[in-house]
This record gives sequence, C-alpha cells and structure tokens, in this order.
Amino acid sequence: MTVLNMLEPFMPQLILVLFALLLPALDYLFKDKRLLAVATLMPLVGVAVAIVAWMFFDAWTPPASSVPLVEIDLFSGLFTLVFLSVGIIVVLTSADFVRGDRNQGEYYALILLAVTGMTLVAEATDLFVIFVGLEIAGISSFALSGFRKREKRSSEAATKYFIVGGFSSALTLFAISLFYGVAGTTSISALGPAIEGAFSSFEGSDSVAMLATVLVLAGFGFKVAAVPFHMWAPDVYEGAPTPISGLLAAASKKMGFAAFFKVFLIGLVVTKTDWEVAIALIAIITMTVGNLIAVSQTNIKRMLAYSSIAQAGYLLIALPVGTQYAVAGAMFHIMTHAFMKSGAFMVVAGMGSAAIGEKLEDFKGLGKRSPFLALAMALFLLSLAGIPPLAGFASKFVLFSSAVYGSIDPGPGWLIWLAVAAVLNSALSLYYYARVIKYMYMDSGSEEKVKVPRWTMAAILIALFMTVFLGVFFDATVDVCLRAAEAFTDLPLGL
Amino acid sequence: MLEGIPILSLVILVPLIGAFVTLGLGRYGKQARVVALAFSALAFVLSLLMTYEFVTDPTSEATGYHNGYQFYEEYAWSDSLGVSYIVGIDGISLPLFVLTTLLCMLAILFSWDTEKRQKEYFGLMLILEVGVLGVFVSLDYFMFYVFWEVVLIPMYFMIGIWGGPKKDYAAIKFFIYTHVASLALLVAIMAMYFEAGLQTFSMEAIAAESVGFAKGVQVAIFAAMFFGFGVKLPMVPFHTWLPDAHVEAPTAGSVLLAGLLLKMGGYGIIRVAIPSLPEGASELSILMAVIGVVSIVYGAMLCLAQKDLKKMVAYSSISHMGFVLLGFATLSQVGIVAGVFMMFAHGLVTAVLFMMCGVMQHKCGTRLIPMLGGLSKRMPIAATLMTAGFLASLGLPGLVSFAAEFMVFYATFVKWSLWVLVPVVAVVVTAAYYLWALQRSMFGPMTDRIDTSHLKDMDWFEYVPVAALMALIAVFGVFPGLIFSRIDSAVEIVMRLFGGG
Repeated sequence: MTVLNMLEPFMPQLILVLFALLLPALDYLFKDKRLLAVATLMPLVGVAVAIVAWMFFDAWTPPASSVPLVEIDLFSGLFTLVFLSVGIIVVLTSADFVRGDRNQGEYYALILLAVTGMTLVAEATDLFVIFVGLEIAGISSFALSGFRKREKRSSEAATKYFIVGGFSSALTLFAISLFYGVAGTTSISALGPAIEGAFSSFEGSDSVAMLATVLVLAGFGFKVAAVPFHMWAPDVYEGAPTPISGLLAAASKKMGFAAFFKVFLIGLVVTKTDWEVAIALIAIITMTVGNLIAVSQTNIKRMLAYSSIAQAGYLLIALPVGTQYAVAGAMFHIMTHAFMKSGAFMVVAGMGSAAIGEKLEDFKGLGKRSPFLALAMALFLLSLAGIPPLAGFASKFVLFSSAVYGSIDPGPGWLIWLAVAAVLNSALSLYYYARVIKYMYMDSGSEEKVKVPRWTMAAILIALFMTVFLGVFFDATVDVCLRAAEAFTDLPLGL
Repeated sequence: MLEGIPILSLVILVPLIGAFVTLGLGRYGKQARVVALAFSALAFVLSLLMTYEFVTDPTSEATGYHNGYQFYEEYAWSDSLGVSYIVGIDGISLPLFVLTTLLCMLAILFSWDTEKRQKEYFGLMLILEVGVLGVFVSLDYFMFYVFWEVVLIPMYFMIGIWGGPKKDYAAIKFFIYTHVASLALLVAIMAMYFEAGLQTFSMEAIAAESVGFAKGVQVAIFAAMFFGFGVKLPMVPFHTWLPDAHVEAPTAGSVLLAGLLLKMGGYGIIRVAIPSLPEGASELSILMAVIGVVSIVYGAMLCLAQKDLKKMVAYSSISHMGFVLLGFATLSQVGIVAGVFMMFAHGLVTAVLFMMCGVMQHKCGTRLIPMLGGLSKRMPIAATLMTAGFLASLGLPGLVSFAAEFMVFYATFVKWSLWVLVPVVAVVVTAAYYLWALQRSMFGPMTDRIDTSHLKDMDWFEYVPVAALMALIAVFGVFPGLIFSRIDSAVEIVMRLFGGG
C-alpha cells in the first residue's frame, strides 16, 4: 500500500486543508479582501460539485477506502454536502460582513478547517476519527466565535463556547476510553458485537458500558445543544459574528448528529432498549423547552438559537425510532434545516451589514424597507415552522411520520407520542415565527430603504432557492436519503 | 369538448399565474384590481365550461372518467414517498368548486375601492383561491394537505394587514387555531398512510384499504380527523377563533372565510373522514350529532346577544354550519346530500350578509346595531338587499337555505325521531335575531347617533355582486334539483363505499 493510496479517501479534506493553509499567505497578497472569499469558495464549490455529480447524476464513484478509519458513502456524502453548502453560504455573506475586519485570511482559513473537521466526522468509521473531527471543527469554531476580539460579546461567546466545548470533548474522550476498555476496539461497526461479547464474558461490563453511553450522550448532547446541555448555544449564537452563528447552527450542530447516528445507531444499536427511552425524553424536553423559551426572546439571534434547540429535539426523534426511514427523515431534515436556518441567519447578517440591530423590533416595517430581505425571511421562517409547500414541511413530514410508522411497526407503541409532541411543538413554534412576519409586514417602522450587499444577497438567494426547491421537488433527495440510510444495516426499514 | 384538456389544473393555475402577475405589477400597482378581476373571471368562466360538460350520472363515457370522478388527472410527483398529483371532481366537490371561483371573483369586485397596498391585497386573494380550489379537487392526501395549509397564509395576512383595530390578536389566533387543527389532521393522514401500508397517498387507494381497519384504529383516526376538520367548520367548543377573525377581517376576507374556508372543514369530513372510516364514523355519529345540535342552538343564542352586525353574522355561521354537521351525522344518503347542499347554500347567503355588513361599515362608519336605525329611507337598495339576505339566511321557503335545512331536519327525524325538535327550536331563534336586527337597523325612526347627512346608497361595485348572489339564491331556491341531482349521484357512490366495507 503506497502512501498515495492511503491518502486517497482523505482527498476532500486535503483539498480543503491545502486552501486553508494558503489563505493566510494570500491575505498579504490581495488588496481586495473579497478575493480571499473567492479563494475560499473555490475548494468548497469544487468538492460540492464533485459530490453532487456523484450522488445525483452518477457521474463517478468514489474509490473504496483503503484505511479502516473512514468511509465515503452516501451518508457521509449527504452530510458533506450540507457542510459545504452552509460553508458556501457563510463565506459569501462573510465577504460583506467582515469587510472592514483585520485578519481575514485567518478567518476564512478557520472556516475551511471547521468544515474539514465536520466532513471527517461524517466519514468516520472509528470513534477516534470522530473525536479528531469534532476537535478540529470545535477548535476552529471557538476561534471564529471570538473573531471580533475587541467586542465584549464576541469574546465572551468564545470563552463560554471554549469551556463548554472542552468539557464536552473531555466527556466524549472519557466515554471512548471506557468503550475501548469494555470492547477492546474503537471501530464503530465492531463495537456492538464486542460489547455483547463482553457482557457475557466478564461481569460488571454492562454498567461500564452504560456509564460510557451516558457520557457520550452528554458529550454529543452538548454539540447538538440538546436540553439540558443547551445553555451555551443562545449566548454563543448571540455573541459570535452573525455568519458564524449561521455556521454553528446550520453545520456544526449537524456534525453532532452525524456522530450521534454513527455511534448510537451502528455501534450501540445492540443496547438500544437501554437508551431509547432516555433519548426519547430528551428529544421531547428539548423541543418543548426550545420552543417555549424562544417565544419570550427579544433578540432575533437568540430566538433563532432557541429555535435551533427545538429543531435538535425534532432530529433526536430518529434515534429512539431507530428505523432506516427515520434516519432518512432526519438526514432530509438536516439538509432542509441547514438551508432555512443559515438563510435566516444570513438575513440577520445582511441587516447587520446595513447597520440595523438584532432586536426583533428592528424588523418592524422591513417589508417596506427591503422587500427582498422580508420575503426571504418570511419564507425561511414559514419553512422552519413547517408550512407547505416549503422544504421544512416536506422534511418534517418524513421525519415525524417515521415515528408514526415506528409505533405501528416495529414498535414500541409509545413512539407515536414523539410524533404528537413534535407536531404540537411545530404549532407552538409558529407563534414566534409568525410574530416576526407580523413585525415585517404589518407594523410600520423606519421608512429608510435597506440596501442589501450583493454577496449577501447571493448567499440568501442560494438558501432561498433550496428552501423552495426541496419543498416542491423532494423526490430525488428523499430517495438519496433512503439509500444513504441503508448504511445502517442493523436497523429495520420502517417504510 | 374538453377531452384531453387538464381543465381542473387549468382552473387552479389561472389564479396562481394571476397572483404572480398581480404581485409583480410594480409601479402599475393601481391596475392590480383589474388584473386580479380578469384572472378570477377567467377561472370562473373555465369552471363554468367544466360544469357544462359535467355529467350528472357519470358513465365511463364522461370526460376524464375515473371511478365516479370526472376530469381526472394523475401525475406522479414523488415515487419514494408515493405522492402523486391527483385531481378529479364529482357531484360533491362540483358545487363547492364553482362556488369558489364565483365568490373569489365577486369578492375582488367588491373590494374595488381598496387603497391600501393593492398589489398584495389582490395577489393574496388569488393565492387563497388557488389553495381552496386545490382542496376541493385533490384526491391525494399529501396534495390535499399542502393546499389545505396554503390557504392559511394569505388569510393570515389579509386579517393582519387590512383588518380592524384588534387585527394582530385575531390574525395570530386564527393562524394558531387552524394550524393546530391541521396538524391533528396531518397525524391522522400519516396514520392512515402507514396503517394502509400501500406506500401511496392516493385517497382512493387508502380508502379501499382503510374501510377494513380494526374498529379501535378507525375510531382513533376518525377522532383526529374530525377534530382537524371540525375546528375549521367551526364546531362548538372550538369556534372562538371565528368571531374574532371575522370582526377584524376586511369584508372580502370575511366573505372568503365564511363562504369558502369553513366549507373546507365540512368537505373534508364528507370527502375523507366518513367514506374512509365508516366504522369510526358510526361509532362517533352521536358525538357529531350532539356537537352539531349544540353549535346550532348555541350559535343562534349568541346571535341574539350581539350588538355588532358582523359579529352576529359570524355567529350565525357557526349555527348554520351546525346543520351541515348534523346532516352528516345521520350518515344517511339524504342527510349527507343535505349537508353538502347546505354548504353551498350557506356559501352564497353568507357572502351576501358579510357584504352587507361591509356596506354598513363603509357608508355609516359603524356596524353597531344600536347606532343605526331608519336607514331604509336613505339607502333603499341596501335595505332591500339586506332584507333579502336576512330572509334567505333564516330559511324562508323559496330561497336556497330552506331546502337544505328542511332536508337536514327530515334526515334527523328519520334517524332520531323527535330529537329533531331541539334544532327546530333554533330556527325560531334564528328568525328572531335576524328580524330584530333588521328592524332596529333599517327601519323605525331615522338614527341621530351617527351623521346621516352625507349618507349615500351602495356603489355599483357593491350592489352588483350582492344582487348577482341574491339572484342565484332565488334560482337555486326554486330549483334546488339543479344541484341536488348532481350531489345525490355522487353521495350514492360514497354511500356504496360506506356500506361496502
């Protein structure tokens, strides 16, 4: 095996890292800092195009992995696509947003590194690779949140995020070491049989495995901001530069779910009866708490943060339901959520570039001030609430219906309550989304027109297009999601 | 003539295109009303053409015939989920479908002097039309639900932007109430889909399977659907969104809300819930009947107490939609036909009533009955039309509601014998509140509580739609058979499914 062969499966990451290393140098070269954004977009768009060509048009097939650490399959491909798309949207907006800031080379390099870490998690077949990926993405995100270090809120956000993130990494690492102790392997697919073997061969191993499960649940729970591990999210999203908040909500969180699915639905599927009730409860509590607190927010970024928490609750449904259809539904919702949530954050960023505040009241009369921003925001919010024919409806439909079907076959019957809770929560969420729409169209505020910066507009248009497109033409995507979910071979089909 | 033409899709598409054109008028926004009227009139004409070609007792020779439906179209949309775009029309949906194109056109005409944000106003009305039309012809659950929800958003904006003083509260209440109901419906749809296990959302295919579901399952799903449709209807005790929404909505919004949106609830019950889940329906038929009767009586009582004309008309809608529910609850051929006919009749009559309330608001500046009085001297056209509308609504023989109410009573008597006396009493109350309101507002001494010196009678764009509706009310009152026969043959097919099991 040559070195080249070994590097082959890491090709996307290598391309991203190469550009990440170049960018700080390019910072000295380019006078117009927007060229940096262009340089950042090149690898993101390039890899994204390659993946779309593979997944949707069968133009080529990725080589089988020669190392037992990563595997490129449809599952990782979909997640990578989500990360890259959010990356593209964020970089486009950043071109306007950080225009006057120093150290832009590092800023863009860190975005690329964060995306690299995320893709690594999606491709991982080994607990350690997951950990390494989480760390790469995590450390880059800490630095990005504190990018405007002279702003108090930004520094505070970074500090908070760093402490909580470090803590969750420690929990995850400890869990991995316990799993290794019980099972003698860190390979995710070998974990299940090894744990089962350990249960029968030496005593006390079940309680150690249980402890490790709880720890890894907490560790990933921090990443996806599930209640009660969610406290950091609103503060960080509020303090971080707005495009970065979008990156955290739309991409970084999804990385947590990739890890969740891999570890729980492949590695720990043998002990599913032990953790399914706990995660189901966390799912219901997360969506309810997220939505309830979102109602009382006055800052748009905090509101979107709590809405993200609620969405994490919806996505967690897929774990206790545990069918391939549920995983497909979750992946589909992850895709649509990535576009609608990042789109919403980019609208806020666009307003920020025009020096408008982040209070909900600042949205008053936006329908007149900038019909484009208002319409985009209205569609993103309605999609988040799950109103057809937008993308959020289609994906929620698949995700929630998987719980209904899971309760019929293979059971247990209480899974239906996950669907009921999710549906009621969707109704609740409509209240605070509709309130923003009301501010934009029904109330009058400042009359001054808002000029939307061109790059931000492009980013919003991409997100908007996908939000509508995936809502109407969801067939191909659902199909790919279903095929991707086949990777979870131990799960029942559920359709 | 229409062979090979996707006429139903065309009728739905025309207002959709119209909406985009209207919204995109830019600085020609002043012409929005003309454009919107043209598109809605085109949709109306197309729907009339379709009606002309519609066969009462369809055989396989009818245009686009498919299992009792006509003008049937089917295109696959998503194979992975089993979603298709299926539309078709039968005697149950036909009256409601044509009513939709008619009322939308008249409502646009009635709003001729709207000045605030015209493009958005008329554009939203056309989007609303698309949603309602889609609901009435969709034969695929997924599509049905999509259209069902599409209706909410334009109505939310119509109340919220062009509404009265408490519009914020009314708009959000309307949105949340009906959305929660929709979600119950959504869960019911999912349960039907998976319980049938056919990997298709086609209503027909699922209905063929769902009639055989275990009784408990049928009752559970029927209850969820009944809630979903019932809130829209609305039924007591989930009716409180309606008076708020109506009082605050602009007149055209009220017309469409009462004339069309309420019908969606009734239509859902008869198109989906009853034929697909016959055992669930029979188990819960007493519940439906009780809720129907309570809505009739309670709604009528509330009307007596109202000071605001529009609020009174809103409560009368609750009362009248109770008749629809009662008719359906009998689960008999004649009761269901009566219920469907009642929906059509109420759509025509209530549009007249809300338009008249709009005229009062417009010309007198108030709709409060104690503030009005003796207006017939100054506004003879308005007084005539309002009298005619009130009489039609209270069920005067010879006008359209009478036939419907009479049939509901007949069906109730056949099924539950003398219990029919309870809703019959409500008719007396109905007559009382209408005549009393009429007497206080239109007749008697001229009011001095408002300034009547500049009082003018109705404008042309106001009395034309009202008079047109009154003409239809009279025609269908004298010749109810024009519609009965069509509904009857469609309900017969439904009943066959229902009995077939």
